[in-house]
Amino acid sequence: MTIELQRPVDDPIVVDDLESLSFRVDRRAYTDEDVAAQEMARIFDRCWLYLGHESEVPEPGSYVSRDVGGRPVVMSRGSDGAIRVFANSCTHRGALICSQPAGQAKSFRCPYHDWTFSNQGELVGVPIPDGYGPGFRKADFGLAQHRSDSYRGFVFVTFDPEQPRTLTEYLAGATEYLDMIDDQSEVGMEVIQGAQLHGAQANWKLMMENSVDIYHFRALHKRYVSYMQSLGSVPPRRRGGFGAALGLGHGANELPPAAARPLAHWTPMFGPEVRPQIEATAARFVERFGAERAERITGTNRALLIFPNLLIIDAIAITIRKIDPIGADRMAITSVALAPKDEAPEIRELRKSHYLTFLGPAGFATPDDIEIVESCQRGYGNRTVRYSDLSRGMNKEIPETTDELPAREFWRQWDRLMHGDDGHFEVAHQVELQGAEKQ
Amino acid sequence: MTSALIVDDAVQVRLWHRVSQFLFREARLLDEWRLTEWYDEMLTDDIRYVVPATDVRGESADALGLIDDDAARLHQRIEQLLNGEVWCEDPRSRTNRMISNVEILADQGSHLEVAANVVAYRFGHGRSDAYVGKYRFELVPEGESFRIRRRVVVLDHETLYEHGKLSIVL
Repeated sequence: MTIELQRPVDDPIVVDDLESLSFRVDRRAYTDEDVAAQEMARIFDRCWLYLGHESEVPEPGSYVSRDVGGRPVVMSRGSDGAIRVFANSCTHRGALICSQPAGQAKSFRCPYHDWTFSNQGELVGVPIPDGYGPGFRKADFGLAQHRSDSYRGFVFVTFDPEQPRTLTEYLAGATEYLDMIDDQSEVGMEVIQGAQLHGAQANWKLMMENSVDIYHFRALHKRYVSYMQSLGSVPPRRRGGFGAALGLGHGANELPPAAARPLAHWTPMFGPEVRPQIEATAARFVERFGAERAERITGTNRALLIFPNLLIIDAIAITIRKIDPIGADRMAITSVALAPKDEAPEIRELRKSHYLTFLGPAGFATPDDIEIVESCQRGYGNRTVRYSDLSRGMNKEIPETTDELPAREFWRQWDRLMHGDDGHFEVAHQVELQGAEKQ
Repeated sequence: MTSALIVDDAVQVRLWHRVSQFLFREARLLDEWRLTEWYDEMLTDDIRYVVPATDVRGESADALGLIDDDAARLHQRIEQLLNGEVWCEDPRSRTNRMISNVEILADQGSHLEVAANVVAYRFGHGRSDAYVGKYRFELVPEGESFRIRRRVVVLDHETLYEHGKLSIVL
């Protein structure tokens, strides 16, 4: 199916000028309801989308129900132990077959007429069956199953039966970053109970940009920086770190930590009691992975953007943040914390405590992010100013974390998909360098 | 009607009145941004201020919530709110905390367990939001008044999709 963009081809939204090293985005991208509707068709109906973590359905019969890409779905671990993703809609007349956000079930019963489906999706019960003719076969009315797959515990789904890439192909260079998350425990990672369900009255892409934007940190998050300093945390003297484009719209920033990390990076803010065990954990990582990779896993902060709407921020704690558009000017944000299953209770408490200090709707940083993206959205109301600029770092061989390379990688893939083109596997930065060399 | 019952009621009513007045004063100090006074005069040194997540509403010790402040972090929170570092509360939002259904659940000797309902309206930066929840307090008697040792606000919202953030003290 082809959907025509409602604009002339010579009036592009993304203006990527490698000659003058300028990168601009027309603010219609954030405000136009027509663009928002096309994003659903061209991006959310086609890409692999993050759904949840395997630890959220730990046992046969475990399920979660949530919305992904605007569609209600159920992720169910069947009695056979396999994870499947179903449309949360009865095949009879369409009601949700699961209204609980999470739980344990052998079967799902539609409350409308009591049609009953097993946790593997088969239709197993139809009341008063003699109302149907001989051509009615229960096998034809199983729950609609979506194509799903998982990588290192992260479960994704795609609503495009013709999605040409396997999940691993789709994740491109992001797999390395997911490895560095899942490698943090020898027995597996788990989502901590208690989700932060909030949102913003702003376009969803603003939060994608914000989450991989380190440039704003010292300006917008002064209060968090002062709080960390009050705990004795000393920001690194040199800036360090780098931004990376990982292909197919994914990007990341890696930087030296400004504070402790509960996994295996001790600083005085954690107190002397936990020092020996955190340092023992760090030593174990060196044993498992060698000094260099261990340092990258345990001693580096990372913000990972997986196109289109997943963010994994591994810093003072790990947060998985899923952003869902609601029209052009609203979004829903679902944040959960991920941690090693075998984490010691006192370290888990430190992790949770510091997670709350920074993150979530009442943390010392996220509320200002929410307010600033809403402020941008209000600013776009003045249509005289047509473009936003995202060109920082286009002139550099190794972009810094305060540059905007991950955001450009996002926008370039966005632009390709909005033009119905998903064949490219370009790493944005290489393209930029070619442009810079021409100068 | 016995006179004993009247006397008992009078004691209960006076206690309930003192507790209610205390909670109303707290709401007023918070609404007037007199956060230092609130912190210094109405809380114990071992105050705990907790807002659980909206999906896991009970106080499951293993769950992550929205706020879990000890005295130090709560002090930091109000310092930030007062010194202009909190961008989303500058200019300061206008708030109105409506307290009702004040009930003394138990007298534990060392403290009273008190429940109340709250609707906190917040207006600022072009937005208007209402936070609806249930207060659970531990009030430690001090002279004719109290100090709060534990302050839990269980939000009734399913999500904070509309609010986005929780930048005020509820």
